[in-house]
Formats: sequence, structure tokens, C-alpha cells
Amino acid sequence: MRKRNNYIEIEDFLADESFQLWILSKIDEQGWEEWTLENLERAKLVEDARLLLLAMKVPNSKLTSNDVHEALKETWQKIEQRELLSQKTFKIKKQRTQRYWISGIAAAVLAGVFSTWFFKSDVLPQDNVVTYKELVEENNEGLVEQTNNTEKSQIVTLSDGSSVLLQPNSKLSYPKIFTGNERKVYLSGEGFFEISKNPKKPFFVYANEIVTRVVGTSFRIKAFPDQQNVEVLVRTGKVRVRSNDLVRADKTEEIVLLPNQALRFTRKDFVFSKITNITEDPILVNSVRNIEQLSFEFTDIPVAQILETIEQAYVVEIDYPKDKLKECRLTTSLSDQPLAEKLKIICKSIGNDSNYEMNGNQIVITTSGCN
Amino acid sequence: MLDDFILWNNLKNGDEKSFSFLFEKYYKDLINYGNSLCPFSEKVQDCIQDVFADIWLYRNSLQDNVIVKAYLLSSVRKRIARLHERDHVFRKTTSTDVLEFLFDFSIENDLVEDEITAERVLYLNKLLNDLPGRQKEALYLRYHQGLSVDQIADLLDVNYQSANNLLHRGLLSLRKEWKGSIPLLILISAGVL
Repeated sequence: MRKRNNYIEIEDFLADESFQLWILSKIDEQGWEEWTLENLERAKLVEDARLLLLAMKVPNSKLTSNDVHEALKETWQKIEQRELLSQKTFKIKKQRTQRYWISGIAAAVLAGVFSTWFFKSDVLPQDNVVTYKELVEENNEGLVEQTNNTEKSQIVTLSDGSSVLLQPNSKLSYPKIFTGNERKVYLSGEGFFEISKNPKKPFFVYANEIVTRVVGTSFRIKAFPDQQNVEVLVRTGKVRVRSNDLVRADKTEEIVLLPNQALRFTRKDFVFSKITNITEDPILVNSVRNIEQLSFEFTDIPVAQILETIEQAYVVEIDYPKDKLKECRLTTSLSDQPLAEKLKIICKSIGNDSNYEMNGNQIVITTSGCN
Repeated sequence: MLDDFILWNNLKNGDEKSFSFLFEKYYKDLINYGNSLCPFSEKVQDCIQDVFADIWLYRNSLQDNVIVKAYLLSSVRKRIARLHERDHVFRKTTSTDVLEFLFDFSIENDLVEDEITAERVLYLNKLLNDLPGRQKEALYLRYHQGLSVDQIADLLDVNYQSANNLLHRGLLSLRKEWKGSIPLLILISAGVL
């Protein structure tokens, strides 16, 4: 307890956070009420301080935690841009000194190349395999990893708003915040990707020996370390797939996939085969997940039903005031939108300061009903 | 408070998490304060993000033992003042060094329960709003942002005594009125003196 018994000025009270909390939010953890009633002088002072507080309200900005997060992201981007700028000037200075080095290094590298080439020439098949671990180690963006050891799929939301539905026994590594001109993530296992559109920052998924490049779209990748094939299946948008430079820098073949097309990459002989009709491929037909089958086109559908569809697709639980949204119906198209974007659109359509918070597989929607 | 010291130190050593944490902790307070000095909320957001970007990029030259909140509020004020000088759209008067405190105090209507309280609060509110901008800003920083008198003096670039005066002059007149003898009109003029 602070020394409130010594308070003699109104200011003393006003500057006391717990006093403010008591008056303005009726939270009385320090027993102000009782303390005030003990003594009449005191009660008068408290009353004066109270009146003053009531007369001193200031506008309060209505920022949600999402707004703050968004602002933080923008700030990191600003930092990144300014860092790049200063690096450019730095590099120009550096190059001068580097020249003297190069001749010496070149000789050393050449010797190194010969010895490894000689050494590894008879174990080539091994060399053709790229592991998730290698890929992740090579990245220096400070990745975080989500591992799904459960029986159910897990939703991962990335800093650009994209979502990944991660299947059991799978892992995804991604930077906490995407900086720079590329968005890179690393997958081991199976995931369904819904990528937020940003033509200026292409999105790359590294999975085993292949690299998948998109701008904004949804697709599924299956790349388990112990399986013979890697599969990419496209639902919306356009996807480009090529092999990882680590294994075939010389072979820059790139395959373009359109919606409902797929690709199977045979790891052993390094062959890409394109599947133009996925309904005729028995393996793919059997592996279709909820999220790929459900329709997100809604015409005059109760909000409760829309939320239920989302729960099924993403295997999440959504908590919302059922009675308040009882009468609400929406017409909206949510296909091709990541989960966060879907929720944002729904909240916006309901109106009335509706908001959502996402915590792992738990989503809470707050609203005072629809317009 | 100890937390802030630790976070600040971590940040200086290049810890991104501490940076993000402090950003999330104070962003809202800073937006509020910024809005009280500049009517264009986009520009306020920009200023605040620039303040944080500077902190990160020049983290090596940051001081130790900083009261983080006071430092941030003060940086935001300086940044907006600079913008104000540069950007003539902002300039209402010819003087460039005075940032004007834009907020009017309003009334916590939800918490006023009876007539008598309502009347007194309304009256106090009028007195408060008649105070010069700088006094209002000092009151705001003291009681809404929780700064100490020292910190306010630093931020408004005045000495301790002046900061103290700014805070007290306004409240002084209010207190006199509560003693119940001085007529209303005199008080209002006294408050502005």
C-alpha cells in the first residue's frame, strides 16, 4: 500500500493510479471506499478529487490489438527499407577494399571445389536429397517453427495475413515478420496455403527439393521427408514450381500450374509430371481435405452457418455471441482469402464495432449485433 | 518500471522481441498524445513509427537508464514539432515553436449520477477548458499519462518550478472555489491569469 494517509492535496489523489482506477473503472483493489469513510476531512478531499477527474475526460483512440500489430509490422518494414538504403552506400565503400582479396580467395575456392567433386562423385543419389533441416539452417531471418504433433490440423497465421493449415506430423518454419522483397517459408510434411496477395513480394515455399512460387493464391503441398514424391495441388490462382538450386542449379525448368492442376515430383529420378485433371488421379482424389471441398461463396446465409463452415475447414473453434447474431445473414465471397482475411471481411460486414481475436485454434468474435 | 529498464537494455543489445514488446505496450498512449498535438491522425502514426524506427536503427547510441515512456512521449512531441515547422499546412499562426494542445476536456457522463454532481462537474469542466493550452497539456501529461513533474519539465522544455506552476495554477483556483467563498466570475479570470 502506498502512503495515502499522508495525502493532503487533490493532486496526490489524481496522480495515484489505483485511485483513478477506482473512480473511473470502479475497480477498488486497494479498499478506497472503506478508507475514505474512515475520516470526514479525507472524504471531502476524495470527493473533490473525484469531481475533478470526472470533469477531465480526454478522447481515447479506439485502437484494437490488430491495429497495433499492423503498425508494428509497418514499422519493421520502414526499418528494413532504411537499412537497405544505408547498406547500399556501405557496399560501395566496401567494394574497393574487397578487390584485393578476391584473387587470393579464388584460388582457395577452386582447390576446394575439386576435392569435394572428387570425393562425392560416386554417392550422387544421396546428394540429390535436400532436407528441411538444411534449408532452415541456411536461412538467417530468425525463423520460428511450428510443429504439429497432434492428430488434428493446426492453423498458422503469418505476419502478412496468409494462413497455412498444417497437417499432423508436419512442420513449418517462417520468419516472425516478413522483411525484404521475398516471403520465404519452409515446409516438411503437408500444408494447405492461402497466401495474401502482394505482387511486389512473391511468396516461396521450400519443400524438399522443390521451390513453389506464388503471388497470391491457395494450394496444397505434400512433402514428407520419407516419401518418394512431392505433390503440389492448386486450388486458385497461378503457381510456379521449380527445383531447388541446391540440387540442380543448372536445370532451371519451371512448371506453371493453374487451378485444379497438380504436379508430382519423383525424388529418385528427379522428374516432374504435371497432372491436368486431378479428378482422374486416384491418389490425389483420396487425399482431398475439408478445406478444399467446402465452398466459401455465401448468398444470404446466416452468419452462424458461415462461421460453422470456417470451423470445419480450418479445424478451429469460434466463440461468438449467438443470440446477437441470430438474425444476421450475409452475402459474400470468401474463397481465395486467408483465414484472417475471411474473419476481417465477416466482421466488417456485420458492422457495429465487430472484432475478432485469434489465439492458436481459438477464435473469439465480439460484436453488438448486425446493422 | 524495472521491466522497462530490462526491455530497454535488451533492445539496445539488438533484441527484436523487446523492441516489439515496448512498441505494443506504448503505441496507444503515444497515438493519444500525438492526436492531442496534431489533427491529422495519419501523420501522427507516421511520426510515431519513425520515432520507433530511429530507436532501432540508432540503438547503439541510446542512453542507459531511460524512463522509457517519458522518453517516447518526448520524442513524439519533438517529431511532431519538427513536422509542424516544416509543413506549412500545419501552421495556423506564424510562430513555429509552439505546439498547441488540441484536446478539450470532456465529462465522464456515465459516472455522474445526480444533479448536484452534474452541476459541479460541468462547472469544473468549463474552468479546466478555459485554462491555456500549455496548462492543459501539463495536466494531461500528469494525470492521464502519469508523468512526474520532472519529466513534464523535461518534455515541455521548462524548469521544474515552471512545470509545477503550470500544474498548480489551474488547480489552485478550483480549490479556492471549493472553499466556497469566492464568486464564480472572479475565479474564472483567476484561472486564466
